Formats: sequence, C-alpha cells, structure tokens
Amino acid sequence: MLLLPSQPPRSAPPRECIQLDELTLTFPSSELDLLPSHCDLSWISKIQVNQPAVLRRAEQIQARRMVKKEWQAAWLLKAVTFIDLTTLSGDDTSSNVQRLCYKAKYPIREDLLKALNVHDKGLTTAAVCVYPARVCDAVKALKAAGSTIPVASVATGFPAGQTHLKTRLEEIRLAVEDGATEIDVVINRTLVLTGQWEALYDEIRQFRKACGEAHLKTILATGELGSLTNVYKASMIAMMAGSDFIKTSTGKETVNATFPVAIVMLRAIRDFFWKTGNKIGFKPAGGIRSAKDSLAWLSLIKEELGDEWLTPELFRIGASTLLSDIERQIYHHVTGRYAAYHDLPMS
Amino acid sequence: MAATHAQRSTREIFTTLEYGPVPESHACALAWLDTQDRHLGHYVNGKWLKPEHRNSVPCRDPITGENLASCPQAQAEDVAAAVEAARTAWENWSGLPGASRAQYLTRLAKMIQKHQRLLWTLESLVTGRAVREVRDRDIPLAQQLLQWHAVQAYTQEETLAGWEPMGVIGLILSPTFSFLEMMWRICPALAVGCTVVVLVPPGSPTPLLLAQLAGELGSFPGILNVINGPASLGPILASQPGVQKVTFCGAVEGGLRLLIQESVWDETMRRLQERMARLRGGRGLDGAVDMGARGAAAHDLAQRYVREAQSQGAQVFQAGDVPSVSPFFPPTLVSDLPPASPCTQAEVPWPVVVASPFRTAKEALAVANGTPRGGSASVWSERLGQALELGYGLRVGTVWINAHGLRHPEVPTGGCKESGSSWHGGPDGLYEYLRPSGTPARLPSLSENLNYDTFGLAVPLTLPSGPEIGPSPAAPYGLFIGGRFQAPGARSSRCIQDSKGNLQAYVAEGGAKDIRGAVEAAHQAAPGWVSQPPGARASLLWALASALERRESAFTSALERHGVELKTAKVEVELSARRLRAWGARAQAQGHLLQVAELRGPVLRLREPLGVLAIVCPDEWPLLAFASLLAAALAHGNAVVLVPSGVCPIPALEVCQDMATLLPAGLVNVVTGDRDHLTRCLALHQDVQALWYFGSAQGSQFVEWASAGNLKPVWVNRGRPRAWDQEAQGAGPELGLRAARTKALWLPMGD
Repeated sequence: MLLLPSQPPRSAPPRECIQLDELTLTFPSSELDLLPSHCDLSWISKIQVNQPAVLRRAEQIQARRMVKKEWQAAWLLKAVTFIDLTTLSGDDTSSNVQRLCYKAKYPIREDLLKALNVHDKGLTTAAVCVYPARVCDAVKALKAAGSTIPVASVATGFPAGQTHLKTRLEEIRLAVEDGATEIDVVINRTLVLTGQWEALYDEIRQFRKACGEAHLKTILATGELGSLTNVYKASMIAMMAGSDFIKTSTGKETVNATFPVAIVMLRAIRDFFWKTGNKIGFKPAGGIRSAKDSLAWLSLIKEELGDEWLTPELFRIGASTLLSDIERQIYHHVTGRYAAYHDLPMS
Repeated sequence: MAATHAQRSTREIFTTLEYGPVPESHACALAWLDTQDRHLGHYVNGKWLKPEHRNSVPCRDPITGENLASCPQAQAEDVAAAVEAARTAWENWSGLPGASRAQYLTRLAKMIQKHQRLLWTLESLVTGRAVREVRDRDIPLAQQLLQWHAVQAYTQEETLAGWEPMGVIGLILSPTFSFLEMMWRICPALAVGCTVVVLVPPGSPTPLLLAQLAGELGSFPGILNVINGPASLGPILASQPGVQKVTFCGAVEGGLRLLIQESVWDETMRRLQERMARLRGGRGLDGAVDMGARGAAAHDLAQRYVREAQSQGAQVFQAGDVPSVSPFFPPTLVSDLPPASPCTQAEVPWPVVVASPFRTAKEALAVANGTPRGGSASVWSERLGQALELGYGLRVGTVWINAHGLRHPEVPTGGCKESGSSWHGGPDGLYEYLRPSGTPARLPSLSENLNYDTFGLAVPLTLPSGPEIGPSPAAPYGLFIGGRFQAPGARSSRCIQDSKGNLQAYVAEGGAKDIRGAVEAAHQAAPGWVSQPPGARASLLWALASALERRESAFTSALERHGVELKTAKVEVELSARRLRAWGARAQAQGHLLQVAELRGPVLRLREPLGVLAIVCPDEWPLLAFASLLAAALAHGNAVVLVPSGVCPIPALEVCQDMATLLPAGLVNVVTGDRDHLTRCLALHQDVQALWYFGSAQGSQFVEWASAGNLKPVWVNRGRPRAWDQEAQGAGPELGLRAARTKALWLPMGD
C-alpha cells in the first residue's frame, strides 16, 4: 500500500499554495474582530474526497456495529436526548406546537422509564425546532410546562435560502428576539456551487453576528452541493465562520442525511478540532425515522469522533417521527410486546 | 434477579454508552455437526465416506479450544477412491453441453443462498474469523462466483471453442485458508467441465459442507470430492492416474506493508492510529467485531514478530478494543524499522502493519518491487496520473487505486514472483483448467530415475570428430549475446553434422557463464523493449520477416542439408516469416481489455510482459519452431534467451545475423551448446522470469521440479512433439496466453 500526499513535498511548494496564502481574509470591521476565528482557504484548497472509499466506509459502518438488548434500550434512550423534536409544516399552529413541546418534555412514557430505572435522569429531547413564526408559541408552551428545553428556529429563508441577505439577517434577529436560543440557518448554495468560498464565509459570519448569544447551526443542504468535496469545503468554511453546529440538510431536499455525507462532515469536524482545538457539533436531519437508524447514527459518531461527541452539546438528530418509533421499541423492550397505536401518546 | 441486573445495566449503559455483545447463534452449525455424529469423514462421489481405522484429528473452536468434531485423516486409498470418483464423473460432466453445467452451477448458488446462515456460522466458528466478514463478503461473493461461472459455462461452446477441459483437478488447501479461496478455484474448474478433488487440512469442515450441498443436488455425484488429510498426501494426489493438474491455495490475507511519503507521514500515522484505536476485536461469532482471531499459532507468530521488531529498534503502536488473552491479538502498527533489519525482510504476519517512509514515487516503486512477493497492492493518491504510473509499474497481480481488497468474479486475481502464477476469476481463470483441443492428456508417469542433482550438470567434452571433408567450413558460429556473436566462455565448439553424417559447421559450446551473460544482456534490453508501443514492436517483427524472405534460398539450403525435402523446407521458411508477421499484427491488435465490474469505475485487464523469457526450442522444425516461439515472446514485450534446436541450430544462428542489424542489442540472445546443461542453467537462474521447454520428457520433469523451488512459470512439452506447422499448435492462442501475464488495475471513480 502506498500513500501519497496530494501536494508535492514542502521543499517545492506549488504556486497554487502561495496564491492561497495571500487570499487569507482579514476583517477590518471592529465587530467581527471580536470573534476569534479567521478564514484560511489553504485548509480547503488541498482537499479531495475519495468518494468510492467513503461509500465503502459508509456501507461497512452500518453492518459492523449493532447493539442488542439492554444496550439497545440504553442507546435508544440516549438517542432521545439528542433529538431536536421538529415540526416544520405550513399548517403548524399554536396547538400542535404546544403538543410537541409537551412531548419534548415527556418523550417516553413514565412507567417505561421506571421499568428501566432511568426515570430520575430527567430525560427530555435536546430541543424543539419550529419555524420563526411559531417560536413565541413554543417558548410559551415550554415555560408553561416548566421546562428549560431550548427552542430552535430555522431561519434565513428556510429551506431554499433564496431571499435577500438583509431579510435573512432580519429573520435571525427576530427569532432571537422571540426567544429562540438556537438558530438553524441555511447557507447560500449558489456561493458553494460557484466556488465563492470567501463570500460564503462572509455571509455566515454575518449570520453569526446576528445570532448574538444564540447558537448557530449551519445547514449545508448537502443534497444540493454537487460533490462530497464541496461538502467538506462548505463544512470547513461554516466552522471557520463560527458555527456551533453543522447540519446536513433541511429535510426538504430530495436527498437528506446520508451516511457518506455524514462521514465527510465528521472528518471535517475532526480536522477542525485537530487544527484549532474547538469541538463543533453535528446534526443530521431529514429521513431519520426509525429507531434502528438512530442507533446507526450514534455508532457512526462514536466511531468517527468518539464518545466525547455523544452529548446534546455536540450531537443532535433533527427528526419529527423518530421519537414515536423509539418509544415503540422501548415499549417492546420493557413489555416484550409490540405497542398498539393508542398505547403511546402522540406528539 | 436477572431482570434487576438487566435494569441496572441499562442505567449504567445510558451513561457509558458502551458496546455490548451481539452473539450470533451458532446452533445450526452445531446441529449440522450433530447430523454427522461429530465425526466428519470425507465427501466422495455424493456420499459421506467414513473409513474405519484412521487417525483422527480434532476440529476445535480456535477461541475456546472446545472440541467440535473429530476428523479422520485420509490415507492413500481414500485419495485413490476420490480421484476414481472424480474420473468417472468427469466422463459424463465434461461431455455435457455448457448450458447443463450452467444450470447446475446456478442451482448450487441457490443452495448456498438457502443455507447461508449455516455456512457463515460454521465458517466463523471453526476459523475464528469475524462473522460479518464471512456473512457480508464471502457468502455473497461465493454466490456471485457460481453465477458468473455459470454464464461462462453457458457460452463455452462459442467463446472457448478450440479448448477442452483438462480432466480431474487436484486442489490442495493450506492450513489457513478461507473457503472462498476454494470457491475461486473450483468454480472455473467445474464450469469448463473439469471435476475436482480437494485435499483440505484436517479440521476444516466448511469445504465438506459445500461438497455436501453440491452432492445433494443429486444429478452429478463425484464432480466435487473433498477429503481431509495432511499436506503430505499432496504428492500421492498428484501421482494418481487421471489427475491432470494440481493447484495450491494459500493462506488468507496476512499483514501489510505500508509505504508513506515523508511529507504526509505524520498526518497519515495520526489518522491511522486514530482509526486503529476504534477497531474492535473479539470472538468471531460476535456481530459487532471488526476482527476475530486466527488461533493460537497466528497469535504466537504475530507476537514473535512484534517482539523481534521491538528488539531491532522499531516503534510499536497497539490499540483497539481487543481482549488481551491469546488467541486475540490487537491490531499493531510497526514503524521506524531499520531498513536492513531481519524483520524488514520477513513476511509480516496478521494483524500487523509495517509502515515505512519514502521520498519519491520512484523510490516507493523500487521498494515495493524489491520483495519476492507479488500478489496485490493498493496505491492511494489524489493525483490520478501519479497513481496510474505506479499502478503500471508495480510488479503484482492486482493493483487497486484508492481502494483496497476489492474482488469480483469477472476480474482475474493472481500474482507474480513468489505469489504464484496461476489465475482465478475472469477469462484467465478459465484457461487454467483448459487445454487446446487435441493436446494429449498428462500422464502421471514421473520417472523415478531422474537425478535432479546431476541432470545436465556435466558438459560433455567436445573432441575432434573425424576428418573435415569438402570445402573448408566457415569459422565456428559464436554465441549471439548482447547483439553480436561472441566466443563462448569455455572456448570450445561442438560440431554439427548434416543428414549424411558429414561435418556441417561448428557452433559454440555455451555454458553457465554464457547464460549469465545472456540473461544480463536481456535484462538490459528489456525496459527499452517494454516501453516500445506495440506498433513499433510489430514493425520490427515485420522487418525481420522480410529479411527472412530475402534470404529464403540460404535458409532452404541449410534446412535441406538436414534432410528436409526442398518443398517442405520452402514451406518452413515461408511459414516462419508468416508467424513473425502474424504475431506482430496481434501485438498491435492486442490492446487492453476494459472490463466494468459492479463497482463504479472500470477495471483494466492489462497484459504485461513476463520480463526475461528463456526458451529451449525443440529439435524438430528448427527454423519454424524457433521463429514461432520468438515471435510470440517478442510481440508481448519480453526479452528472450533462446537455446535453438540441438541437431540443427544453423538456421536459428542465421536469423541472428539479421537480428544483429534489426533488433536492439540484447533483446534476443541465442546460446548453443549441450541442451540439458543449458536447460539446467536457465531453470535454476533466479532472474529468468519464465521458461518454455520443448525437449525430452526428462528435461521437462527437471524444469518442473526446478520451478517448484523458485516458482517460475514454466511451459513444458513432456517429450511430445508439437505440430508447429499447424495453426492451432504453432501459433494458437496458447502461445499468447503463456507469453504475458495479467494484471488487474482497479480504478474506482466518483467525486
């Protein structure tokens, strides 16, 4: 086996490299200088993702790590704590948002938790995620339920991002004003597809600034980026620009959270950690519906980043129907029977 | 109580989020062993054969040491019974239309599908390999192999016209093999119409199960027979009447050697260690482990190697979640091994990886090619141009670019150098079990009297042999080495008589030193000739053909002096020129076959020169055989050392006159002398990459014996003459197959 670098040895740096060093961006604006990050394009210029190898790894990882019995139950309960319980529909109203918030606070039937002796762990989902117009409803409902679960809002022209920058920024500010403490923004795919990495960096910096104290989760919409190499580059730019999380997709594209894309993003997160010492979170979203899927995602994180990433601060699963399937599996684990529809409360 | 314990652990696991055991039930494997009363015999002629009074060897679980079954070892009579069954079955099986064989193979594939759980649990149980490896890779591939070869059998009459099945094939498996390696060999053999006797090391029940599955299809008992026994039965199997070929099947993948360019060394090592730390080892029958174990012997081998490497100054990195008791061994990365230390030269055991740095791609190629092994290699680079150049340059059977370990029935797998020269899968795999129609079967009559130590050792002394009559003959012919005629090292000549017994000429008496010189000259010329495009090779061969035709009368009279009739002599010269032209044209048309397997991206099936090819020409057809063999060898890019006809070397030496002016110096070297002595020198020369021998039965036997020592691909005629004037035998596809070796170059694609 031979391993060769993508670039010739250091002694003969290619011209490309020198040019890129000059492109390193600095921001004279005083506000941006307060944020400790910078855009170093040399971190992405060398990258070439080996797609066939990524596909193979993605295939293997799903078949190699299974958990059964008590381990499965424990892992599923843990998965619940990673869920951003989501509703993003045109017909959302305060009543179904309220129901969602209640489910977020009590995700699994109390008697099932007791049977597993984890009823005192304060098990809730990681957050609820809604459209900006529903943030007030969610904040109110959670407050009424006496919960501190954060409310996440999508923003910046979700899901397409094809609105003016000014309105996108305003959207963020309004959602934060309404009480959202996490903002899921979508990036401008046009900038990725045309290779305007500095402009992308610049935009996400402005999102970051608009978020203020709120957490920034950057949605890469990987189904629309064209290649895995672009996924890596966009991930790296999003992290350099100050995202707290990078997220696979909006759930509205035709291709959502897939394992190959996740592997590329996780490797980017690891590279960023090795370069800067900063741990950035990861959020797959869209198409994660079954309990079995969620287990595979947990083991993927465990394999690629390690146990330290398996906390709601660094890992979220964006899902709406996943929770009921998990609850169903827990029910089966505890009772040995499959649950009827009416056995479990709806979300 | 158990329930309470379970609840408590769920709570614990909720915090630690650790992996748990995922035991794969092997109840069905045990149940199958029970059907045999835990006493496995041999599977011969569609029935279990359990002879009395045999030494039994236990079949053990390599991890627990539990005795699973006892396996009686075969004796010579059991081998004979199996071969007899295979021979009887062959008479029917080989005569069937390909479509019927295709149907049978398809049914066997279905049978495997139906019993896959039994197969994978049994294989994992007795070998200790990770069950997911067997379940997710080996079993599907075994089915694919059967299906692909069924298609080949179906189209056999059309695509393999002119070839016939060899007969009974003996297959000897090494103690650590996977049943898949057996499938790679039996599928092509069965597909083309051969029948098989497999000698498995005792304690390997999976081949027996496969034979039983095949036998239970009912229609053709005896096409696949499996006997348990020690490797010492190999010669007995080989000497059974009817056994046409014996192939060996080596071990499963061993350790790896990793070459990393200095500029990415730190980064690569870091990533490698990070990934290794996440590997999980454990009992093979656990569904969530990456690596199983391969028994105590493999553990000790790895441990010895690692300790040795440490004592020689190497850095050792071990990680991974692996039980710390034998036979489990953690994945191990060895680096900083001094280049000259013994461990650098030794074969790396599983699961050890030895990493060493290199500066330039050229250096990496030199290091990689500087080992006696030549199985497979992978090249990882983001620059396709560089990766391809390395891929072409590596002297191995399989190269993966930016991938590793991919296999597909359509893509031939094989090796060169010590990794063997036989092929499995793809068209190359089929030819392993075929011979050109009309070639007589192999007789197992090895001469007991041949003394390998003395064969061709002494050179007969040449003494004056009577008065020189007639016009004074020309100066003695020299040896044609390095593009010119040279005096032989021994400074003596032998006389060549014409058909009437008169002295015709003197030719040089070549010896070991001359062979050495010729091989050196050939090696110097080889790289230049390989880099010539096929078109340039063709035009030189055509030029040589024209030169032959221009001097037709000289060649004709030289042949006539040897008692060849004028008409036949003319035909021989004409045919010789035609052969040179034909191979020239084929070299041009040969190209590289492009195959697209199921992966995304193409696989190139390259035909590469063997290197320096030695050819001992037959006595008959002194010009035609010489030209036919030479043309095929040169067209495929080889450099050649030839020994011409012993009784009539003059035409060949005359051709050298033309080659001296036309061909690059050293490309073709012709050495005359005592044929047995020269054959011995060539067969034992380690740097001759292949040897074709057309001479006596004894010489053939010697050449085959010698090749077992240095694993040189050889082609011998076993003392039988060949119809060189016939198209099939004189210029058939067999020559082309023998004159080059295959390399599979995998190019997965995607961005």
